[in-house]
Amino acid sequence: MRAFKLLLLSTALAMTTAASAEIRVGFVTSLSGAGSSIGIPYGRGAAAAYEYRSEVGGEKIRLIQLDDGSDPSSATRNTRKLVEEEKVDILIGTATAPSTIAMAAVAGELKTPMIAVSPINLTASGEQWAIAVPQPATLLVKVVADRMVRDGVKNVGFIGFSDAWGDLVYTGAKAAEQAGLIKVLTNERYARADTSVTGQILKVMAARPDGVLNGGSGTQGALPLLSLAERGYKGRNYGTVALINPDFVRVGGKAAEGIQVSAGPVIVAEQLPDNHFSKKISLAFREAYQKANNMPTTDVFSAYAFDGWLIFLGAAERALKVAKPGTPEFRTALKDEIFKTKELAGTHAVYNFKPGETYGVDDRALVIVKLENGTWKYAP
Amino acid sequence: MTPDIAAILGVDGIATGAIYVLVAIGTVLIFTVTRVIFIPFGDIAAFTALTLAALDTGQVPGTIGLLVALACLATLVEVTSLVRKQAYREIPYAFLYYLVIPAAIALVVWLLIPLKPPLPVRLAMALLLILPIAPLLDRIVFRPIADGTVLLLLIVSVALHFALVGLGLLFFGPEGVRTEPLSSFHMEIAGIMLSGQTILIVVAAIVFSALLYLFFDFTLVGKSLRATAINRTGARLMGIRPARAGTVAYLLGSLMAGVSGILIAPVNTIFYDSGFLIGLKAFVGAIIGGLASYPGTAIGAIFVGILESFASFQSSAFKDVIVFSMLIPILIWRSLAALHSEEEVDE
Amino acid sequence: MRRSQIHLIGALAVICLAVAPYVLGSFSITLLNYIGIYALVAIGLALLTGVGGIVSFGQAAFVGVSAYASAWLSTTGGASPWFGLLLGAVLTCSIAAFLGFVTLRLKGHFLSLSTIAWGLAIAYMFGNIEGLGNYNGIASIPPISFGSIELIRSTQIYYLIWAIVIIAVLLAYNLLNSRVGRAMRTLRGGDTLVESLGINAFWIKLASFIIAALLAAVSGWLYAHMSRFVSPTPFEAGMGIEYLMMAMIGGAGSIIGGIVGAAIVTVLKNSIQDYLPLIAKGASGQLEIVAFSALFILFLQRARQGIVPYVAKFLPEPAHEPPPPAAPLPRRTQPPPGQTILKVDSALRRFGGLIAVNEVSFEVRSGEILGLIGPNGAGKSTMFNLITGALKLSGGAVAFEGASVADKRQYQIARAGVARTFQHVKLRPRMTLIDNVLLGTYPRTKTGFWRGALRLNREEEASAYQEALAQLKRVGLGDKPYELAGNLPLGSQRVLEIARALAADPLLLVLDEPAAGLRRQEKLQLAELLRSLRSDHLTILLVEHDMDFVMGLVDRIVVMDFGSKLCEGEPKEIRSDARVQEAYLGAVA
Repeated sequence: MRAFKLLLLSTALAMTTAASAEIRVGFVTSLSGAGSSIGIPYGRGAAAAYEYRSEVGGEKIRLIQLDDGSDPSSATRNTRKLVEEEKVDILIGTATAPSTIAMAAVAGELKTPMIAVSPINLTASGEQWAIAVPQPATLLVKVVADRMVRDGVKNVGFIGFSDAWGDLVYTGAKAAEQAGLIKVLTNERYARADTSVTGQILKVMAARPDGVLNGGSGTQGALPLLSLAERGYKGRNYGTVALINPDFVRVGGKAAEGIQVSAGPVIVAEQLPDNHFSKKISLAFREAYQKANNMPTTDVFSAYAFDGWLIFLGAAERALKVAKPGTPEFRTALKDEIFKTKELAGTHAVYNFKPGETYGVDDRALVIVKLENGTWKYAP
Repeated sequence: MTPDIAAILGVDGIATGAIYVLVAIGTVLIFTVTRVIFIPFGDIAAFTALTLAALDTGQVPGTIGLLVALACLATLVEVTSLVRKQAYREIPYAFLYYLVIPAAIALVVWLLIPLKPPLPVRLAMALLLILPIAPLLDRIVFRPIADGTVLLLLIVSVALHFALVGLGLLFFGPEGVRTEPLSSFHMEIAGIMLSGQTILIVVAAIVFSALLYLFFDFTLVGKSLRATAINRTGARLMGIRPARAGTVAYLLGSLMAGVSGILIAPVNTIFYDSGFLIGLKAFVGAIIGGLASYPGTAIGAIFVGILESFASFQSSAFKDVIVFSMLIPILIWRSLAALHSEEEVDE
Repeated sequence: MRRSQIHLIGALAVICLAVAPYVLGSFSITLLNYIGIYALVAIGLALLTGVGGIVSFGQAAFVGVSAYASAWLSTTGGASPWFGLLLGAVLTCSIAAFLGFVTLRLKGHFLSLSTIAWGLAIAYMFGNIEGLGNYNGIASIPPISFGSIELIRSTQIYYLIWAIVIIAVLLAYNLLNSRVGRAMRTLRGGDTLVESLGINAFWIKLASFIIAALLAAVSGWLYAHMSRFVSPTPFEAGMGIEYLMMAMIGGAGSIIGGIVGAAIVTVLKNSIQDYLPLIAKGASGQLEIVAFSALFILFLQRARQGIVPYVAKFLPEPAHEPPPPAAPLPRRTQPPPGQTILKVDSALRRFGGLIAVNEVSFEVRSGEILGLIGPNGAGKSTMFNLITGALKLSGGAVAFEGASVADKRQYQIARAGVARTFQHVKLRPRMTLIDNVLLGTYPRTKTGFWRGALRLNREEEASAYQEALAQLKRVGLGDKPYELAGNLPLGSQRVLEIARALAADPLLLVLDEPAAGLRRQEKLQLAELLRSLRSDHLTILLVEHDMDFVMGLVDRIVVMDFGSKLCEGEPKEIRSDARVQEAYLGAVA
């Protein structure tokens, strides 16, 4: 009974806060749990985006942020709370792939558009309400595989996280194998909390690869590199954008030197030629980030949240001409307009969305950067 | 698998196992004295590593905030309980032990940071900051239920671990750290590389488990600590204060966890939540030793390390499944080995 | 409170639940759905942990097994979710049966630690199995459907969830008040007590474990088809601990407590998420788990019993309505007087190098009271444990009714007709007198889990009740059958144990130091009771330290000293035996 009263109370409170003319954006991210090292940057990126522009077409925007603790159940519950209680017009989120998929399922059910900031593979069933901002893992790996071909690397060893990210990169590598670019020799996994990867590295080296593809992310992505160096591995190292963070460079030290990763151009914004699509907006993003969070950007993830915001701004501007915020019509219009996004230049990519496709990026979204003397160098 | 690879895996397993040894014997120490299965033990080790990493880069470690917050809370709890018991005379001591000493440590460390002290001093600073945490947690969390069943203490301990993980994220942030190696020494025996760090870890594990074994079996303080574990009331009648014995156990245990944190930080990236798995795997080792014998625990922890190392070569994805599944046959073997297990009747 | 009033409150609660979707906002319904799903697991834990005393940290893994099984079958196999339920339940229960079979003999915290171990191992499996979508999980799971109606919206599945919860509550209540439920409630008293009542403790534990797993399986099935997406995270160790929190906060051992606990945890988490940002901006996500754990620790420190038992203290006592008269339970035929029913032949028991019982032989004959006496440390208790099966013989033989007890378990010996009492009274202090005595009827009744849960046992219950009441009256405690056993003075507790033993309709009653700690008046009453039992042709073996108590009561005496039999005879002979005096009073100078 007490629970019941609490329920009534919380509902009543929620009712009083709703109902005013503004665009409401529901943002879910992982501020705690296993995904927090990615989720916290997303949160900062969203803060930067809000700093960059907090109104569109004369309407104020309200950003409501909830933590999902890296748990898909909480992500589901938060999404329902945002839509059913906070009456948001659009959803943005979240840090881990399972949570993002869970969110997208609810978004479809409650007919609310969603911009996913994690790379996910949405299986199309029913009407599509969600799109994803980042480069799909297959593309990330394909660009790396192209580089491997150029470097004359054919036989590739894979070692990655035993989580959703590791799965995605491995699937991408397998796709590149299908395309005849490379040959994947191993599928070794390790957990973020592991103290050693010696066993896995021995297995990788026993396969005698020309190059090793790293499916880890962040600081702990350096662990295989250190082990490889220790065991006298002399071949090349490749990775994905997920590795890029200052602690990776610091921890990896000499062992990480020379690793080539595919990444969004925002990473090397200042090294880009002036006519590059990403340069201007990336610098604007960095400025807003500094202002909102009182620290410089050091990661890649916050820029996805920022690009998601750009996609939302463009679609909202057009949707406002059709319907008023807070209505089902507006949500439908917003979704339709998101799918009409054309040649939108973001920090990571030029976005083109169309119905039936989750991703809206092409080869322009990725450049190869190489770690040289502790800094990431643009390596076209 | 070639003999070469087996040898490398074996060495790697022993190094990993040695880290578990330190955490495991700390766990056993605390369990034998207080009957608390201190799950957050791995967290203490991880926090030490994070503290040291912050000190290395000249930043103020989150531990200072954590320590001061816990000290205030513990003082509050202690003073409230003293007032309720009308033991007003002891209040100044409560302030001294629970507030002044931890605060002084925090202050000294905070003043030393800008001076960029050398590595040995930084190690001492990190350990000093970490040592009071477990005793303070003991005062806040476990002392009020010290007479509860082992099971109740276990549940509380698990809840405490979750609280600590949240605090760790708050005070240390989500990123992992790795510190400078304590030694750059390398040697090669029969084609197998041995780093100075590995040797240090193994030596520390051997020294500490031997010391504890001697301490408990051959000194009066050690024996009295053990007596507390067996019978609290009896120990009290013999003039041993269970609360004080508990504090000593937590301090010693924290030292062990702190040392393992310092040793592990250069070989592995440590996150705010890395402690849980380290703690649990160490715990598997402790159970092999029956939660009682130090040499047994050391052997058990080494066994876990080696098992993990070979499992990661054979089937890396199922490594943790293998390690934790092992616990069940071990528990059954232990329960068969135990001749008379007293019945726990609660209510 | 009368039974009709309880029914009225129950009906009101059901009506409230039924109209909730029309009154509350849709997010509140979402929360109620989660509460219902969590409550199922918590009810299972209330039975397993609260009632049975088996603390499991691993229930989340069972939820996961079922959720994944149903998700897999309905996506890749394209089967109806109802088949998924079947597969999930069968798979989960099989795994539980295996794990239980292997681990449930472990004691106390070792058992709980093993639940952490298999909980973690199973959770790690989900992410590593190729067919289960690895760490990305399984998406686009079809909803549950009734005919052509698909339960997609939260208000639709809401009714299914709560209907299942209500059914689970009713079944669990019936079960707890049945024969097997009483046995489950006795588990916390320790294996020796349980087995002495003719109950197979291991089987009861295993069954409780499987029931809890079954409830978790149903919860997992609902979860999979409500969120229509599964991934490893919700089934990891953290959630297992949260389920335990729910059961404990609600009040371990209380079925309604499972629901209350699930509701409080879910609503509290939601409120913390709402209100914490107002206090600590920016760090709210990290503080949520801290605040939550801190509240839980505080709760365990201050109010371990949980909320429902606390509230129940303020409610009026439920009225007890005795069942209708019923046919008496069948009785055994007592052997003819003078026939040997227990034969101890050169019994030997060693503990390491120490010989506690050294080649002792004696007989107990039908219809007599035999006293087994001796000074402290004479080996009486060991002898007692050898007869009742609590200890195994190292040599020699003990035969009851001509059959050897050497390879029999305690409960089998009890079922054969040996009922015992304990030196340190082992009653269930929080159960009523009548329930305590009803425990004694366990070997004479048959109702199993299903019949108990479905209340198909009324006739047998009524018979057992009449028997228990008759035994209470026989020992002189018939005036207040609904008093809690813990409220009785020690003397009456001893007598209550005897009533419980009598309810088993034993051939042999074995009493372990029944006079210890009793006042003089109580001893006299006890002796009077035992005499009246003898006149009803009951055979009694009395193990006693108190010579005076034994002398005026028994027919024959066996004296033990230092593990060996000293002598045997009628009380008069024993009293004048010099060796006995020496043993009791020390060497006569």
